[in-house]
Amino acid sequence: MTQRGGTTVRRIVRTLSEICVTAGALIVLFVVYLLFWTGVRADSAMDGEIGRLQDRWSTGPVTAPARPPAPGGRTAPAARPRAYPPGASFAVMYIPRLGADWAKPVLEGTAPDVLKRGLGHYDRTAHLGQLGNFSVAGHRRTYGDPFKDFPRLRPGDAVVLTDGTTWFTYRIDNRPYTTLPGDIGVIDPVPPKSGFHGPGRYLTLTTCEPEWGHSHRLIAWAHLDSTQPAARGRPSALSS
Amino acid sequence: MYGWIWRHLPGNTWVKALISLVLALTVVFILFQYVFPWAEPLLPFNDVTVDQGMAAVR
Repeated sequence: MTQRGGTTVRRIVRTLSEICVTAGALIVLFVVYLLFWTGVRADSAMDGEIGRLQDRWSTGPVTAPARPPAPGGRTAPAARPRAYPPGASFAVMYIPRLGADWAKPVLEGTAPDVLKRGLGHYDRTAHLGQLGNFSVAGHRRTYGDPFKDFPRLRPGDAVVLTDGTTWFTYRIDNRPYTTLPGDIGVIDPVPPKSGFHGPGRYLTLTTCEPEWGHSHRLIAWAHLDSTQPAARGRPSALSS
Repeated sequence: MYGWIWRHLPGNTWVKALISLVLALTVVFILFQYVFPWAEPLLPFNDVTVDQGMAAVR
């Protein structure tokens, strides 16, 4: 082999190895971003949402402003609440089973950018505490891992929510149920496979299954067990 | 590739090292700020709902 040929081979080998090292570093950085950085960003975003909610609840009146009378003189039914503003937080969820300090904001909508800042309320489902199925989705992994320990939920576990005026205590009714991504029946007002019969005040939690995959979804159903005004302090489910 | 960059940086070894560090940090910043947020939705970790792309159905 000539001197020049050796130089060319050396240059090719060197460039190839440099590309490999660069690709490896890129992958390591991406893993760091996914496992660490999205969590840092999501935790600060969720803390910010909860702080904003608590500021709003402690300063302003939290009751919904009076609705203008409906045209035609008919009064709107009182049970029909105001729509939650899209992309904004309106409640805080506590699940003692997932940790004594586990508290996440619930935002309106389930778009990916909403789920980066907290749990997402399916906007077509019932409102908090109302007749129907209040359905919430959350990340299992990345973005703060809010539902990392979802499979540990058991019947009887409390899911406590507050909207600033009322504490709602839901109780889980089933072990986490695995289903397919297109099974939108699970967030129906009366989900067919939940074991609920007839209309009621239900709650559905959804996340991905398996932990790092997207082939299935994990579902938990709960029913409204009790409510109490925020003025009477935190419900007993949170202090035990 | 890296040798070529090193040879084209101005200054003595210390200046070159400093510029290299700044360049590397800039690349990491661009990756974390723009490239990874774009690539991340292509992975399955965002699929936590049961109705993705089915909003029009109901």
